[in-house]
Amino acid sequence: MNSSTSSLVEPGEGGARAGSYYGNGIPYLPIEGYPGKIIAIEGTDGVGRSTQIRLLREWLEVQGYGVIETGWTRSELMQPTIELAKASNTLNKLTFVLLYATDFADRLEKEIIPALKAGFIVLSDRYIFTAMARAGVRGVDRTWMRNLYGFAIAPHQVFYLKIDEKTLIRRVLQSRGMDYWESGMDMKLGDDIYESFRAYQRSLLKEYASMADEFGFRVLDARRKVEVIQDELRRQIGAFLAESDASASAAVRVE
Amino acid sequence: MTFSLLHATDFADRLLYNIIPPLKAGMIVLADRYAYTAFARDAARGVDRRWVRELYSFAVQPDMAVYFRVPIEVSTDRLLARRVKLKFYEAGLDMGWSGNAIESFRIFQGKVLDEYDRLVDEFGLSVVNATGSITEQQRTFRKVVSQHLAIEVLDEQLDEQLG
Repeated sequence: MNSSTSSLVEPGEGGARAGSYYGNGIPYLPIEGYPGKIIAIEGTDGVGRSTQIRLLREWLEVQGYGVIETGWTRSELMQPTIELAKASNTLNKLTFVLLYATDFADRLEKEIIPALKAGFIVLSDRYIFTAMARAGVRGVDRTWMRNLYGFAIAPHQVFYLKIDEKTLIRRVLQSRGMDYWESGMDMKLGDDIYESFRAYQRSLLKEYASMADEFGFRVLDARRKVEVIQDELRRQIGAFLAESDASASAAVRVE
Repeated sequence: MTFSLLHATDFADRLLYNIIPPLKAGMIVLADRYAYTAFARDAARGVDRRWVRELYSFAVQPDMAVYFRVPIEVSTDRLLARRVKLKFYEAGLDMGWSGNAIESFRIFQGKVLDEYDRLVDEFGLSVVNATGSITEQQRTFRKVVSQHLAIEVLDEQLDEQLG
């Protein structure tokens, strides 16, 4: 990254600069100076991530930005495997974590990095923090997890749609109901799916909260109306893109 | 990266289902390849060495690790004698070093062997010269393993066992 863009560097995001690898990264894929941006929307189930992303995409495209979306377990390589493994009940916490990491790596190499190179805005429906939260509640070593995702790129902005346990339960029940994995039934917290869901989601919320400072989450109250949240997202993303476009064109003038 | 992570997933699965239970039962687990294969192969593919070692930090440290070393010419000859066609990933064709499978295999295996040499020092692997006949190798192998398990093996016994 050259000095003209250094004003965009946001400190506190896992110790890594936005747009660079958290750890040693992928040695054969240098990403320095790629013009694209990663904007991640994080949050538990039922906080309205996909609705917000759909609206953001439209808004960005109208302004002439190239946008791609990427989402959890959507990789071509891994999606069928993950579905199969979940169905067969043979997963343990380690293979669970590693399959997710493989899915992420596949999307990173095939979708995210090429898009960054081409100057796209990558809207990520969940990012590595979901994996870290899920692993955290299952007792996977935190340092090991952070090292594992050392090949991930620190997003330029991470929005965390925060919700409370009670609202979350109502929203999930109103939409598609509680499922086995979202209820953490693999953790054998109890036979009652409602109690299990509640305990599991509560510990997930704690995990997310514990990462907020470490990774520089921008916390938004997800209980508000869709439009209110969308306006807030647009305001913050718009300001960031304006600043980054300005310094990019300043850099061109200097050259 | 996905190549590396898929193998780690497979390893984690085998570790928890096939390796740890027999260890708990006090049995000997013979592992045909272990994490070292991943260290060598992934580093040869350009993955960060430190990252792969950290990735496998959930693995049980083996009580003993034996490396069967062969020069690149021998391994190429053996593989080609056995099979007409090299497998895509085995030949490292995914790396785009050469369109020719045999040439690509030589380049890739050369890198893998260099990585193994590093591992011998780093992890104290016992080296068995694998250019000799199977009987010769088995003889050395049994000696090394016996030493480790503190089993008394006499040369005459080995002669008798291996003919």
